[in-house]
Amino acid sequence: MSAADTPSAEPGGEQRPADPPASRLGLILWPSFLSACIASVLFFAAVDPELLRDAGPRLFADLDRETGYALGFFFFWVVAAIASALSVWLIASRGYLRRIRPTES
Amino acid sequence: MKATRNAASGSSESPAPSFYAAAAKIYPREISGRFTRIRQRTVVVLLGLFYGVAWLQWNGRQALLFDLPARKFYIFGLTLWPQDFFYMALLMIIAALTLFFVTALAGRLWCGYACPQTVWTEVFIWIERWTEGSSLQRMKLDRSPWTGRKLLRKGGKQLLWLLLAAWTGFTFVGYFNPIRELGSEIGHLTLGGWASFWIVLYSAATYGNAGFMREQVCKYMCPYARFQSAMFDKDTLIISYNDNRGEPRAARRRGSSAAAQGKGDCIDCQLCVQVCPTGIDIRKGLQYECIACAACVDACDDIMVKMGAPGGLIRYTTENAVQGKATHIVRPRMFVYGAILVIGATILGYSLATRTPLILDVIRDRNALYREVHGDHIENAYSLKVINLDSKPHSYRLQVSGLDALEIAAPSGLIDVPAGTVGTVSARLQVPSDLATGVHKITLTLAAADDARIAVREKTRFIGPRP
Repeated sequence: MSAADTPSAEPGGEQRPADPPASRLGLILWPSFLSACIASVLFFAAVDPELLRDAGPRLFADLDRETGYALGFFFFWVVAAIASALSVWLIASRGYLRRIRPTES
Repeated sequence: MKATRNAASGSSESPAPSFYAAAAKIYPREISGRFTRIRQRTVVVLLGLFYGVAWLQWNGRQALLFDLPARKFYIFGLTLWPQDFFYMALLMIIAALTLFFVTALAGRLWCGYACPQTVWTEVFIWIERWTEGSSLQRMKLDRSPWTGRKLLRKGGKQLLWLLLAAWTGFTFVGYFNPIRELGSEIGHLTLGGWASFWIVLYSAATYGNAGFMREQVCKYMCPYARFQSAMFDKDTLIISYNDNRGEPRAARRRGSSAAAQGKGDCIDCQLCVQVCPTGIDIRKGLQYECIACAACVDACDDIMVKMGAPGGLIRYTTENAVQGKATHIVRPRMFVYGAILVIGATILGYSLATRTPLILDVIRDRNALYREVHGDHIENAYSLKVINLDSKPHSYRLQVSGLDALEIAAPSGLIDVPAGTVGTVSARLQVPSDLATGVHKITLTLAAADDARIAVREKTRFIGPRP
């Protein structure tokens, strides 16, 4: 499939088994979870979710604080996960590019 | 191994890779020894704190409560507001620096003894051993067909895991919602939607992380495992196999001299590999997977004693010591981390000690720049937000300065604000018309009537007609 899937050669010349496919899910979800935590703390330290209800559009009409925190957290998580997924995909797909246009040695 | 390769090449005849099946399951062998005892005690103390502190009371309320719905953090006697974010940020920076300091000094002590991933995995493995037996018995059980006995053992393990995970999720959420109310709400089946959701989510995370993902979290997901190398130097405590003493590794009779037979002390018994929770061979050198839990140290020492050889073939040491050089505990890196740590802690301590438990927000009336009153005075209106951060009620006196003949028309008396609440007051300031032309900078001072140390100043503007 891609370079990230093939067993990689260690500096010692030893072959190491490929990472399990699900580890990619971890690579996407975990860093974005940490980033979402930081973003939520910073954002909600400055902004009370109830202010969004008072000032915001109709969308937030029935917003209570707990819902505000949860929505904010998941919003940050999804955005960060998109960034993580793009990074993982860009790194993983480099091997494919190499194969269709081999570099000159 | 074969399954891993198959899954990696994506060949069609290999079974579809299930969630964590592609990595070979590790059955860490049980071990006893001094470092194992230290870890077991650390686990008991840390988990005891986690499960226990949530129930501690302080002055009639929960001692440690990050009350998100009310936007207030209670840390024993201290109440922090969103405005006090500075303290929380400083506290987190200090915690991170402490981790750097300890890492530079003693390597991955955090990973081996204190990381929640290690701590909960350890307890989940205790449960696993109790229900399914030793690592050999577990391997055999996994291979055996489903029988009533297997169902009982596996089912019992899952049940205990789920109970522990649920209690963990409940306790965790109990640090953000008052835990006693949370408990009685669960008892009466009146628990709110979000609280239920977070409890289930954190329970599931505990169950998945400690029951199934285990060492894979450290290997694939943990950023600290990767960047700790930046804090390592040649004097950092690491776990290392003594090549010179151990090689050439070979089996020999108990009590026989390795040197006399031209062999190294390592008898290649593989115990250090079998006890490793991340499944590595420490004899291949320092690897990023090593969480420095010292299980291999305990295992090897045990064997060496049985072989009649001194312990320490695998041991805590430093790169300098391995190369026969002196190890320096005191070194520039320690001074730098230490100095930053001391400065941070001093700033935090000083600012907390001198923190004024009062905040004044002044907002000018948006409707009118100014107003003429009594025919000969100009009046400006303000909205004052008085936040009493103290744990007792206060009455505050308002004073103004910065413009001659500036008078307070309202509020007429003291401003009373109960403990830990926000008071909103309309203030009206007046100046004779002939003195009020143009824009003036003025200062509002708010001071507690009963305590002169509680006082804040806030600058604003007084606007009169154009000259």
